[in-house]
Amino acid sequence: MTAGVLLAALVLQTPAPAAIQPPTRHVTATETRQIAIDERLAADANLRVGDTVVLSAHPGGAPGDTVVIAAITQRGTDPSDVARDEYKVRLHLSELQELSGSGDRVDRFAVLTSGGAERDTALDRINAAAFGFRAYRSADVAVGTSKTFQVVSRFHRAIAGITVVASAIFLLCILLLRVDQRRHDIAALRLMGVSRRSVVWSVVVEAALISVIGSGLGTIVGWTASLLINWHYRGLYRTALTFALVTPGVVTLAVALAVVLGVTAGYVAALRLVTTPPLALLGR
Amino acid sequence: MTGALAIASLRRHPIRTFLATLGVAIAAALLLDMVMLATGMQSSFRRFLLMQGFQIRISPKGTLPFDSEATIGDASAITRALTANRDVVAVSPVLGAQVHIVQRGHARAATVFALGIDGLVEGDYELTAGAHVSAPDHIVVNDVMQRATGARVGDTLDVAAGLDPQLREYTGLRRLVVVGTGRFYYTAVNQPVMAVPLATLQAMGGSDRADRVSLFMVKVRDRVEPEVVARWINETLPRVTTISTTAALHEVDSRLGYFRQLSLILGAVSLVVGFLLVTTLVTVSVQDRVGEIAVLRAIGVSRGHVVQQIIIESLMLTVAGAVSGVVIGLITARFLDAILSTLPGLPAAFHFFVFRSSAGWETVALLVGSGLLAAIYPSWRASSLPVAATLRGEAVA
Repeated sequence: MTAGVLLAALVLQTPAPAAIQPPTRHVTATETRQIAIDERLAADANLRVGDTVVLSAHPGGAPGDTVVIAAITQRGTDPSDVARDEYKVRLHLSELQELSGSGDRVDRFAVLTSGGAERDTALDRINAAAFGFRAYRSADVAVGTSKTFQVVSRFHRAIAGITVVASAIFLLCILLLRVDQRRHDIAALRLMGVSRRSVVWSVVVEAALISVIGSGLGTIVGWTASLLINWHYRGLYRTALTFALVTPGVVTLAVALAVVLGVTAGYVAALRLVTTPPLALLGR
Repeated sequence: MTGALAIASLRRHPIRTFLATLGVAIAAALLLDMVMLATGMQSSFRRFLLMQGFQIRISPKGTLPFDSEATIGDASAITRALTANRDVVAVSPVLGAQVHIVQRGHARAATVFALGIDGLVEGDYELTAGAHVSAPDHIVVNDVMQRATGARVGDTLDVAAGLDPQLREYTGLRRLVVVGTGRFYYTAVNQPVMAVPLATLQAMGGSDRADRVSLFMVKVRDRVEPEVVARWINETLPRVTTISTTAALHEVDSRLGYFRQLSLILGAVSLVVGFLLVTTLVTVSVQDRVGEIAVLRAIGVSRGHVVQQIIIESLMLTVAGAVSGVVIGLITARFLDAILSTLPGLPAAFHFFVFRSSAGWETVALLVGSGLLAAIYPSWRASSLPVAATLRGEAVA
């Protein structure tokens, strides 16, 4: 069964989910029609290549076609159907049309052009001649079908925004406490003649170091969490999809954000101390 | 006395206290949002399913309602079989199909979703203007369809069930009259929808749709367990899938389980952040006041009173943060719900974030619990201070 035929078969979906009856016996592949099933169905129904099953467009023991499983296919990594606990069976287009009583009908055609202007010309010509159907660019279809993920991505960004605000306050609080704890040291330094600028600079460097070390540890925790998340969801949804991805861009953004927040918090905390008279810091 | 000392301790460092309260408030807001997300989907979906009191849905075998184009045959016989059951109060058969509005002067027909309903027992929409469908050529449309076609109550529309590309003509063409406008419960927010008598939509589809429906909605008698009727339907009608409210909730939980798990993880993280913030602040506060605590202990104040003061300090921070956090959380929940409401195909009646007073109490209780836990270490540290050594150390300093 060639990939082309499989793709052609995919464009017609059965109006009702095909019912599969249990395997009866092993036969040679040439005796009956052949189908390909996905690995989820193979695992759940304990089916193997060479098994014979009866395919029917209607459930409840309605008459159907006796077919041989010729291949077991791996599920595509399509996020849109990851949560749908469905089985997929691929068969020749004409056989599916016959089985489902669809006649000479298909759900869609995939047209290969040489791209660029020729694609647009073909699109215009098809749409000008079309009655009852419409041609789209694959890219436009992809944009339409990925809207769910754009919304989820926007939701993630909003949650990330709240998390950043919480982290910023946490960091400011911690650095304020840390600098406050050192008020006696800072007072002593100021009384010895160390300039305000040097004190602020030292605190800011310390804050930056803490932020870098913290974000480094955070990266390790995040990376480990991404491994756990991928392991959990791949098992749960039985897919090869990557659910959490730690990319250099994400790490750079996180570290940069942590350093900027840390330096700002350190600067604010240090400024508060150096503007207080040293003797007041010592409680005199 | 103990409370006054705790307040004095917090007021001594106003910026520190303000930041800690703000930090706890943000953590509480996130926690409330996640509690709302974890429980809201379920309660919203339950309310959504039971909107018109139909507790059972029957769809073609192996599918969820309107999840595919599959239909159920012999609909009249099934309706009769269902209504014969004395526990069944009402059966609403529904056929869903795409239809095309043919408008003069428009090169392309507008495609809308048609719901074929039985006007006497329908449970799909709420009438907002005009009248219900009561004749074969009556339709009720939603606002989106009105905007898409410009149709008003009283207008006549040419509606086709299909298109024949070879003959280049419309099939199943009917002239239908808009008699009302309605708010449809179960269709997507931006979807143009019309309700039409079931028999009309079946006839428009020709032999392919004769006596076929996409879904039955079943209402059972009060005090009868819907699960019992669902089991009876499954046994009686092997060619359909029966979905009770419980089963539907389970299905939506598995499909939207990601959001529930995300809410659990983020809720736990925000709880830990709040806990760490309060622990750090109270520990530092105790560290700053070791001299005072040693003096209190030296003049006879008991360990219990010292511990009590630290616990009150920790609880004050937590409660103040939690209460402010509930307010912030309600605002952010609306914002987050507005984002998720734009998910394609989602009905307007469905919400991800649903506030219930129990969610608010749960959030405050969790944070108060974490506030109590946060007080354990600083309390232990304060109560176990060696009084004489601490006083000597403070005097030397």
